[in-house]
Amino acid sequence: MTTQLAVVFRTFAFILAALLLCALIFAAVGLSATETLQGVIEGALFRPRALDHVLRWALPLLITSVGVVICFRAGFFNIGAQGQFYMGAIAAAFAAEALRGTSPLVAVPLCLAAGMAGGALWALWPALLRVRAGADEVITTMMGNFIAALALVHVTSGPLKDPSGSGQATSSRPIDAAHRISETTGTSPVILATAVLVVLLGWWLTRRTAFGILSGLAGRNPSMVAWQGARVESIAISAFLFSGGLAGLAGSIELLGPNGRLASGFLPTHGFTAILIGLVSSLSVLATVVVALFFGALASAALYLPIVAGLPAAAIEIINASIALFITARADAVRGVLSRWRSRWKT
Amino acid sequence: MAGPQPAGASAPALDAGNVTVRYGSFTALEGVSARFEPGLIHAIVGQNGAGKTTFARVAAGLVAPAQGDVLIFGEKVPPGDVLSARAAGVELVHQSFALPPSFTVAEVLQFVSPRRGIFSRKAIERHWQSWLNDIGIDLKADARIQDLPVESQQSAEIARAMVSDARLLILDEPTAVLAPEGIERLFARVRGLKARGVTVFLVLHKIREVLAVADTVTVLRGGRLVTGPVATVGLEPSALSGLIIGDSAGTIDAADRAALTGEGETTHASSTPPARRPGWAGALRIRRATVPGGPYGHGLHGVDLDVDEAEIVGIAGVEGNGQRDLVAAIAGLAPLTAGEIEIGAQRFARQGLAARRKAGLRIIPFERNVEGLSLTSSLWENWCAARLVGRSLFSPAGPRALRRDADAAFQAWDVRYRSPDQPAGSLSGGNAQKVILAREIDAEARLIVAAQPTRGLDIGATAAVWNALRGARDRGAGVLIISSDLDELFDICDKVVVLASGRSVGSFTPPYDIRAVGDAMIAAGGHGQEDLAP
Repeated sequence: MTTQLAVVFRTFAFILAALLLCALIFAAVGLSATETLQGVIEGALFRPRALDHVLRWALPLLITSVGVVICFRAGFFNIGAQGQFYMGAIAAAFAAEALRGTSPLVAVPLCLAAGMAGGALWALWPALLRVRAGADEVITTMMGNFIAALALVHVTSGPLKDPSGSGQATSSRPIDAAHRISETTGTSPVILATAVLVVLLGWWLTRRTAFGILSGLAGRNPSMVAWQGARVESIAISAFLFSGGLAGLAGSIELLGPNGRLASGFLPTHGFTAILIGLVSSLSVLATVVVALFFGALASAALYLPIVAGLPAAAIEIINASIALFITARADAVRGVLSRWRSRWKT
Repeated sequence: MAGPQPAGASAPALDAGNVTVRYGSFTALEGVSARFEPGLIHAIVGQNGAGKTTFARVAAGLVAPAQGDVLIFGEKVPPGDVLSARAAGVELVHQSFALPPSFTVAEVLQFVSPRRGIFSRKAIERHWQSWLNDIGIDLKADARIQDLPVESQQSAEIARAMVSDARLLILDEPTAVLAPEGIERLFARVRGLKARGVTVFLVLHKIREVLAVADTVTVLRGGRLVTGPVATVGLEPSALSGLIIGDSAGTIDAADRAALTGEGETTHASSTPPARRPGWAGALRIRRATVPGGPYGHGLHGVDLDVDEAEIVGIAGVEGNGQRDLVAAIAGLAPLTAGEIEIGAQRFARQGLAARRKAGLRIIPFERNVEGLSLTSSLWENWCAARLVGRSLFSPAGPRALRRDADAAFQAWDVRYRSPDQPAGSLSGGNAQKVILAREIDAEARLIVAAQPTRGLDIGATAAVWNALRGARDRGAGVLIISSDLDELFDICDKVVVLASGRSVGSFTPPYDIRAVGDAMIAAGGHGQEDLAP
């Protein structure tokens, strides 16, 4: 277990380095680095109801990133979490519209299930293209993100358009107030319980099932798994479905929870932050809990910063981006070392 | 083209003084000092991992020693400097060839030669054809590298090395890729070079080959110089094999030992297969199996093959003659376009490898580090994969129990490892292969397909693999071994089938006749990539 500790330690060292880089950037654009970082910490941890605000952002991110981890472990770089998140929200919105007036005990589970199905279907076609035609899933899922964002615009300005809406951003009618699972600003036991369930399921799936072990091997060496007789196609499709389903679940939670309605272009970086969380946690489901809380805290601070004198919310995006930079740099460094090591030993 | 005699004609062709080479924490060569007379054929022998290739690379300036120095014809060459070594007259022909496949032989030679200017294609071909004829290498200057059989590619590599007037030519394991007759032709060519005054180093690992061609022999073991260079005249093959094997010599069966070092004509080891038992219906039956040629080359064309229970059958052939297609077809990874395959009396058509494994198929694949193991995954995960593929994907799999079972299996197979959690890539080749054996050889195995199971292994590990396969046979499993080492096949196989151009062209039983098998290997154009069949 010392190696795992080392990974955690190294990861935090990288985050620290990223924060130092941010401080330099802040200083370069004339902001006070200490003031900004102080504002971030204050916004994340020391404002009234700070924990609620952190969880509000962290829990949906956590759910999506567990899906990302499952897919990445199997060796498939499904970067379509954003699109699958949108498709889940759209499917849940249609379900909520259809179930208007029914008991929340019926409607909420059905809406969440619809969200999962929507996200899973949006991950299924890249999976099939990958397995049957060898299409690179990075390209297809990324394209899927754009299509899903446009589908969201279409749905909110067409089939589900709120007739009373007048603003520039189109949106759907608010969903039935009885079906809401949280307030606009907060979180709720339902969301918390769902997230805990997802983490436990994700942990069990990756660590305690044949799927977990075989997909872990396939992610590192698909050829070896094929020579063992594993159905690599089933592993691939299952991984995509889990990944898309969980992103869709997060989408439906955002809809029934904090958002309360479908709005075009809502949470435009959710899926990408979730991918970042998956990478920072070194593809370990349990680690995503800690990392999602960290990024949830950053997201919460982003909304607080403008309240503190003249600090732009974009500061948070700079922090996110520099962490992404360091994490990918780390992956490259590791790969570089590996290939060098290999070529040395090749005789 | 023997250049003018060097100033210090009596100076040794190569004088290595206390050469030590380290790769990381691993010492590949330790304090090797040896002087090699010019104008002779020197053989360097040893087990896999003894440091032969490293020594060749130090001589050619490809590897810089951590200590010690190298004198070429009395001149000190800066360590690890290929260009200086080349200028001093050293050329190395690698184990795997590296000529551009789309070039013609003439283009390659023109490219590496210092001749510059504008020439017509015809002029280049004419020039190099006459040069080839001069140095006695039988090659067509206008042939494309990719169209050449392996043996001729090797000739082209040798010609390439001779363009720069090499005075010291090093061939790294040149016989590994050749059929028996090809080896004889290579040796004739090497003797021709010697007659022209070239000093030749041959990295070999068969004693028979050493005695057939070399003037002196040098034995390396575990990175240290054991003896040499000593004259081969009057040398006892068994004494030499003892030097190569070292301390473990006593623990290895005499016939195995002869096969391991290529002491002489290999005979079949004395172990006899158990008698047939009632209820045995054959481990493998292949009829008219046809697989289209693909990335591996030939494909299969109507191959018939039988492996009985308690029988070891060997597939001999020059590499690239359909061996990979055969294994992929048995595994169900390359679908048959015609013919049929039965494993353990059960017919398989479309069913995949998981179903075949259930019927008792076990596979030791060609590429240990790609198809056999996931190097960055832990040992226990690598081991338990075979157990998990038969289950439903979402069935529970407790890592603790699997890790414990893996641990027990590794102990039973005498794998040297620290922990079942360590990555498979941290094991030596022999230990890695034992992990695969521990995974693939179990009580339910009915047919074990072992593709090049001993490639790259040292002698102790090779003997362990052979004994494991014999043990599986004695418990009633059928074993199919694919190998390019005839000594290995003759030693352990109860029957040898030759594959050439994707066809089974002959079946042999002990006592084996190396000439007859060799003839079958190169019959029907059984050499390398192109299909010469009409």
